[in-house]
Amino acid sequence: MTPLSSHTIGPFFPRAFVREGDNDLTRTAPNATPSRAGTRIRLHGRVLREGGLPCVYAILEAWQADAAGRFRHPADPDWEYADPDFLGWGRAFTDADGRFEFHTLMPGGFLDRAPHVNLLVMASGLMRPVSTTLFFPQFVTANAADPVLGLLPPPLRPRLLAAPDNDDGYRFDIRLRGGPAEETPFFES
Amino acid sequence: MPEDAPPTRFGPLPPGIAPTVPTPGYPGTFTHTPSQPAFRRPPGRTEVTGPLALHRKLPCGEANLAEPIPGRPAMGQLIHIAGQVLDEDGRPIPDAVVELWQANAAGRYAHANDTRSAPLDPHFVGHGRVRTDAEGRYGFFTIRPGAYPVPGEAVWWRPPHVHFSVLGPASLSRLVTQMFFPGDPLNPLDHIFMAVPDAVARERLVARPLPPAEIGPGWLGYRHDIALRGRRATPVLP
Ligand SMILES: [Fe+3]
Repeated sequence: MTPLSSHTIGPFFPRAFVREGDNDLTRTAPNATPSRAGTRIRLHGRVLREGGLPCVYAILEAWQADAAGRFRHPADPDWEYADPDFLGWGRAFTDADGRFEFHTLMPGGFLDRAPHVNLLVMASGLMRPVSTTLFFPQFVTANAADPVLGLLPPPLRPRLLAAPDNDDGYRFDIRLRGGPAEETPFFES
Repeated sequence: MPEDAPPTRFGPLPPGIAPTVPTPGYPGTFTHTPSQPAFRRPPGRTEVTGPLALHRKLPCGEANLAEPIPGRPAMGQLIHIAGQVLDEDGRPIPDAVVELWQANAAGRYAHANDTRSAPLDPHFVGHGRVRTDAEGRYGFFTIRPGAYPVPGEAVWWRPPHVHFSVLGPASLSRLVTQMFFPGDPLNPLDHIFMAVPDAVARERLVARPLPPAEIGPGWLGYRHDIALRGRRATPVLP
């Protein structure tokens, strides 16, 4: 069978679809106890469109490995050992300034992959969701060896590194459209 | 994984399926679509996996949009939309989360962003979320939405359509799409429908009228199957 074509979420994606706590990757359900098997971190940033203007009402979905670098999915050979209390998935909505926020645990690396968080962005005006991957600057050696980060020309690689904030925060802005000098590198999805 | 390694399970989409971007006639795509080409990466563990049992995180069960309060149906043609979520091999995908949203019969969304003067229907909120069963089946009771204009320099009218968001078994199977109604004269004038280059691919976005016997009289039935990317993509937990 041929997959269906994708379309924009449009301007009217129901706000009720994004509930409080959906942006917390450490909970498998709204009332579940959050996983504590790792270092709690907060990822935040803005989604911007052409002209550096905020992209409002964009939907972001995050997907990442647990703190030990495992996915609770049978395509991961070690899935049985994955943290059962960690979902690794979350959804966030950007506000009027284009801001979003996720609460999660620092992901672990696996195989030749450096710790990373996959982000999918959907918005009115985006006919296909766009995918990018966030890396953490402190894992210098792992980042240098990461085959996906290595697909980018070296000058673009810093654009996929989140910037450490005060406390547990990491800032990662996503520029949807801004030409070669400013745009976030995206991956085919 | 067994014999079928991840790279062969998620091939690139055949040509003509993905919409043309930026999309002629749709100004928003010219300010949002990345101008630089995306980097191609071989599907690895992070792309072929995804959250299982997502229905625990995203509570499901809102399948009746048309008559949330018994005896107080929404205005409009009562319809039932049902189908199967399948992978590229035609295998059913159980436990997929299917989200649906749409305008009311007057073409107005119950959403703060829709400031048009068309009437709101107090008995129609217009969104729901269900989980597919063991055969990949989903179903919604709703109403046929109305057409609505897209404001801008060159106004165009969206044909009646229903938005779908489907969360399948892998990051690569994520799909956001729209369902259209057969024979609507606005379909060939819609920039979003026509953004899909291949005419056969466009037909797959059009529901088939098919009164399902078990639904009962009063509901106009539509069948709409949803194929996601991926072969042998259905995870089976041992
Ligand atoms: Fe719409």
